[in-house]
Amino acid sequence: MANMDSDSRHLLIPEGDHEINPGPMNIQFDSSDIRSKRPFYIEPTNIVSVNDVIQRVSDHASAMNKRIHYYSRLTAPADRALIAPDHVVPAPEECYVYSPLGSAYKLQCYTEGYGKNTSLVTIFMIWNTMLGTSILSIPWGIKQAGFTTGMCVIMLMGLLTLYCCYRVVKSRSMISSVDTTTWEYPDVCRYYFGSFGQWSSLLFSLVSLIGAMIVYWVLMSNFLFNTGKFIFNFIHHINDTDSIPSTNDSNPVICPSARSGGHPDNSSVIFYASNSELQQFEKWWNKSKTVPFYLIGLLLPLLNFKSPSFFSKFNILGTVSVLYLIFLVTWKAIRLGFHLEFHWFMPTEFFVPEIRFQFPQLTGVLTLAFFIHNCIITLLKNNKNQENNVRDLSIAYMLVTLTYLYIGVLVFASFPSPPLSKDCIEQNFLDNFPSSDILSFIARIFLLFQMMTVYPLLGYLARVQLLGHVFGDVYPSIFHVLIFNLFIVGAGVIMACFYPNIGGIIRYSGAACGLAFVFIYPSLIYIISLHQEDRLTWPKLIFHVFIIILGLANLIVQFFM
Amino acid sequence: MPNTAMKKKVLLMGKSGSGKTSMRSIIFANYIARDTRRLGATIDVEHSHVRFLGNLVLNLWDCGGQDTFMENYFTSQRDNIFRNVEVLIYVFDVESRELEKDMHYYQSCLEAILQNAPDAKIFCLVHKMDLVQEDQRDLIFKEREEDLRRLSRPLECACFRTSIWDETLYKAWSSIVYQLIPNVQQLEMNLRNFAQIIEADEVLLFERATFLVISHYQCKEQRDVHRFEKISNIIKQFKLSCSKLAASFQSMEVRNSNFAAFIDIFTSNTYVMVVMSDPSIPSAATLINIRNARKHFEKLERVDGPKHSLLMR
Repeated sequence: MANMDSDSRHLLIPEGDHEINPGPMNIQFDSSDIRSKRPFYIEPTNIVSVNDVIQRVSDHASAMNKRIHYYSRLTAPADRALIAPDHVVPAPEECYVYSPLGSAYKLQCYTEGYGKNTSLVTIFMIWNTMLGTSILSIPWGIKQAGFTTGMCVIMLMGLLTLYCCYRVVKSRSMISSVDTTTWEYPDVCRYYFGSFGQWSSLLFSLVSLIGAMIVYWVLMSNFLFNTGKFIFNFIHHINDTDSIPSTNDSNPVICPSARSGGHPDNSSVIFYASNSELQQFEKWWNKSKTVPFYLIGLLLPLLNFKSPSFFSKFNILGTVSVLYLIFLVTWKAIRLGFHLEFHWFMPTEFFVPEIRFQFPQLTGVLTLAFFIHNCIITLLKNNKNQENNVRDLSIAYMLVTLTYLYIGVLVFASFPSPPLSKDCIEQNFLDNFPSSDILSFIARIFLLFQMMTVYPLLGYLARVQLLGHVFGDVYPSIFHVLIFNLFIVGAGVIMACFYPNIGGIIRYSGAACGLAFVFIYPSLIYIISLHQEDRLTWPKLIFHVFIIILGLANLIVQFFM
Repeated sequence: MPNTAMKKKVLLMGKSGSGKTSMRSIIFANYIARDTRRLGATIDVEHSHVRFLGNLVLNLWDCGGQDTFMENYFTSQRDNIFRNVEVLIYVFDVESRELEKDMHYYQSCLEAILQNAPDAKIFCLVHKMDLVQEDQRDLIFKEREEDLRRLSRPLECACFRTSIWDETLYKAWSSIVYQLIPNVQQLEMNLRNFAQIIEADEVLLFERATFLVISHYQCKEQRDVHRFEKISNIIKQFKLSCSKLAASFQSMEVRNSNFAAFIDIFTSNTYVMVVMSDPSIPSAATLINIRNARKHFEKLERVDGPKHSLLMR
């Protein structure tokens, strides 16, 4: 019939303007939108008798499935127009797969991005990621700030950084016009500040990563040196009584910086004229002259790996190290007892005043200690109950604050002050224990291994970000990567040789990258988004500008201390 | 006579981005060749070949877009657009934040209708209702319906709430098509007789291009209330597959030990689906019955033909 022909004819011509035919329509190329690949069930076929055991899907879901099936045939696979939005599709738990034999199975694995971590796991992951090597500098920071001031500063910084972290987490939800489900914080910065936002957030992220890697190198040289010394002394039964002031009991605590008037000196001056073997050892195993270079041989090859996922298997070492440190500190505190005296403003021979004006050094360290803002969105994405995100984040921050307070306060309080001055507390508190001390030897070994596994991961992150941004390819060639790695390793070696003050490195890099990610960006983005929605009020504006000023002051004042 | 020479129009209008192209694509099984979230407006007169219910041509128009070019084009072409309009379907986006503007454009369309085609039927679709929370939907729809009814006076408008993600779109369009068929009650009575004579469980009458259910008869309660839309989607999907092979769909028989279903061309504008639950009746018998009924129903159409332009060839 003529009518039928014309009917069918209109079906053969694609509707709309006569554009390039996209080709045989059954070639599906990979749509980057995972929602278009969401699973749907296969209808039970050939069911002769209704079996009560078989799960039946509701009519509503069955109709929705047919709808989605049909709509998917109406557009090109890359077209997002007719992809089912989240709120109409049943939740993943309600999806069943029907086998043609008639039985139904619930889906076990969900597409990536659906949160599967319970609150406890999320809190633990945040705690684990935040606790880094800055834990070793907290007692020194408390010493620099004074005991009372130190404790107050730790709690206040915890609250401030928590608030800024909350702002980071909420920043995505204030963008309503674009789909932000795959965004991380640098993407939000790029959305608000254009390419300036993107490369500046890249720059600051690199500052924090490279700063961390330099600290790692210094610490690794330190721990490797002490481990080597311990093993050598143990093998050769040398009792290492050098001229460093220390306590004279079974729990020795040393004050390495007392000799040279406050500057940590990495050369140990020991005169054992009759023992040339020891002299040789001292010559070849020197904390600042030789050990940093030995590390190059170990770590540079590891940095060149294309994918360091092998190292992420050792993540558990970090937790073990922290737990061991907590145990160590508790044990030492029990053995050494508490030595606290409260002098408010004037320093005494053995004690520091409660309130000191060098507390910004502590805030600098804490900015890095509480830093997780560049990856918090990713960590919270996998939380099963997204509505608990803020609660879980707050709990994690509280636990981190408690951990820092615990270790800082215990080390500070138990430092044996009558023979030694509190001023002796080193920037790395393990340095206050002699290399012959077994417990701290174990701590150093743990930390050494842990850092050796985290170092390639940090290098990978820095490399991916920098090379990916500059060259567009995360592994342009072995030469680019090698040069990049040499640069980083060189920086670490130089610092280890000439400026091994991890407290200093931490506070400078912490204040610098914290300036962007902790203080300026979250507050500025919040102010801008409120302004765009006309919800900006004077108190909010003043409060957030105050936060920005605090961040700036934090950085500037580091250079005056 | 000018009326028979010119095709009668069904206008699908609404603001740019309100969902008209997706709606047309879904109802008429057109492949959308481009991203519907485009920034340009629709200039859609001559390119539209979508026909249904005999001689009705579907035209899509963006009304009240931001583009001044479109505004001018629209205003200058207004009489052309609104001439010979049989049906106006106006789509409102429920999420729109410019309610005043939407109503303003709607009213100007109504004015044009009053001038050019005062007998046209008017339907208003409040679309994208899935974006509203479930407990608020009835309330919001009732508000909108009252406003629209009020604004449309002296013309009468029928309002529906729709979303492409549930059955409401299909139901709304089915109701629209149902109201466009003049002798629909008579059709239904004849359909019921037909069903009872051949002892069918259920008989459905579909519109040919869109497989919208025009009328149906069922002799007992069916479990799935969504079956009409499902069948429509399945067949439209099948038609799309057929078109890839340059074949066209004519009829289908589905049978197992419990039932037999027949989908076949019926009249020039309709398809019929007959569901028999008695498997002992041979297919040939049912097919003969359908063929005889076809002749009867075609006569019905022709009898009412001259008076009602819709179903006229």
